[in-house]
Amino acid sequence: MKQNNHSPSVMIVDDEEMVITSIKAFLQLETDFDVHGFTDPEDAVRFAEGTPLDAAISDYLMPKLNGIQVLGKIKELQPEASRLLLTGHADKQSAIQAINQVALFQYLEKPWDNAQLLLAVRSGVERARLFRDLREKVGELDSAHSSLKTVQKRLIEAFL
Amino acid sequence: MTPATDLHQMASLGRLIAGIVHEINTPIASVFSNTEVILHSLEKLTPLLDGSPDVQSMEKARRIVSTVENLVAVDRLACERIRAVIRALKLFSRADSQQPEKVDLNQHLRDTLKLAGIEFGKRVSVETDFADLPEVECYPQVLNQVFLNVLVNAAQAISGPGKITVRTRLEGELVHISISDTGAGMTPEQKARIFQPGFTTKPPGEGTGLGLALCREIIEKRHGGEIGFESQPGQGATFHIRIPVQQQTRSSAP
Repeated sequence: MKQNNHSPSVMIVDDEEMVITSIKAFLQLETDFDVHGFTDPEDAVRFAEGTPLDAAISDYLMPKLNGIQVLGKIKELQPEASRLLLTGHADKQSAIQAINQVALFQYLEKPWDNAQLLLAVRSGVERARLFRDLREKVGELDSAHSSLKTVQKRLIEAFL
Repeated sequence: MTPATDLHQMASLGRLIAGIVHEINTPIASVFSNTEVILHSLEKLTPLLDGSPDVQSMEKARRIVSTVENLVAVDRLACERIRAVIRALKLFSRADSQQPEKVDLNQHLRDTLKLAGIEFGKRVSVETDFADLPEVECYPQVLNQVFLNVLVNAAQAISGPGKITVRTRLEGELVHISISDTGAGMTPEQKARIFQPGFTTKPPGEGTGLGLALCREIIEKRHGGEIGFESQPGQGATFHIRIPVQQQTRSSAP
């Protein structure tokens, strides 16, 4: 799964259809991101089970699952995807809870500023891609290391 | 007592306002964003249509136009939502009238439900069963406060999901409004005391204990009606409000 070769994939979860429409239109105008919108948090989690994501933006107050629960589940499924909370229900407690429980990447308030949102999503995507790159490189290093070890072992066996 | 203090005592204004702010905030956030996106889209559109555009530019232009159309539709929806909230709020901002007015009581109930529903609408469903009513002579500002208070109480009695049913009926010279909830219901002890000033089952800061006492005053003294209820623990509660269709020409105090 070489997600980094595809265009970035971003998810928006908000029970308000109009928020999704607005942000989707904005991101599609300014970026080449694939934007997936969900009004039902459970649908969003199901989607994250099967599709790689670079960033997930979620509202906080929603029926069934709140934003922290949604982002928590996405964190389990795709730890490298950056998590952003976009909320009109701005209280310190939910912010702290989000940062501590789901290692939040950005906390944004409604009404949001488009430029700020774009910056946050872009850096979130970049971060996710760096993480993936790093993991891939570490994997390559690991396998190079173990093949070197095998060679070394054979050399030793051959000469002793 | 001014209507503002009435409302404050009756419906935990703080929470209600937080709900209203949230309700207005979302559409405003959308409109803000959309305006920028529309402007930027138009900026991109102009050069595409300059001279004699090729097929590719026309395709791009068409996509931009359809995005803009979408966003304008969202804007209209957003404005309608804000207007509905403002309209409901207006019910409570007008000064209390000294003279009774003839009003469409069902419409007032709908508007009050709109306002109350902002706070609990996602959790509690509302069913209305309105009869055709003649215009009812009443003091609509204070009457709406009674409805709001009973509705907020009903919603607070429900923990988790539930339902509130609002009915209106014409009973001869009286209008009967009933508000039922599927909430916790009341114990005999609570039932004996709910109209007493200062009695509350809510945590400090949520209820002042004055709500239902004021409601009774408004219904019985102001309108010459009656307010009562039936409830069993675990079986929810129903409040019955009856007011005359015509106010008696009384030598009411100014």
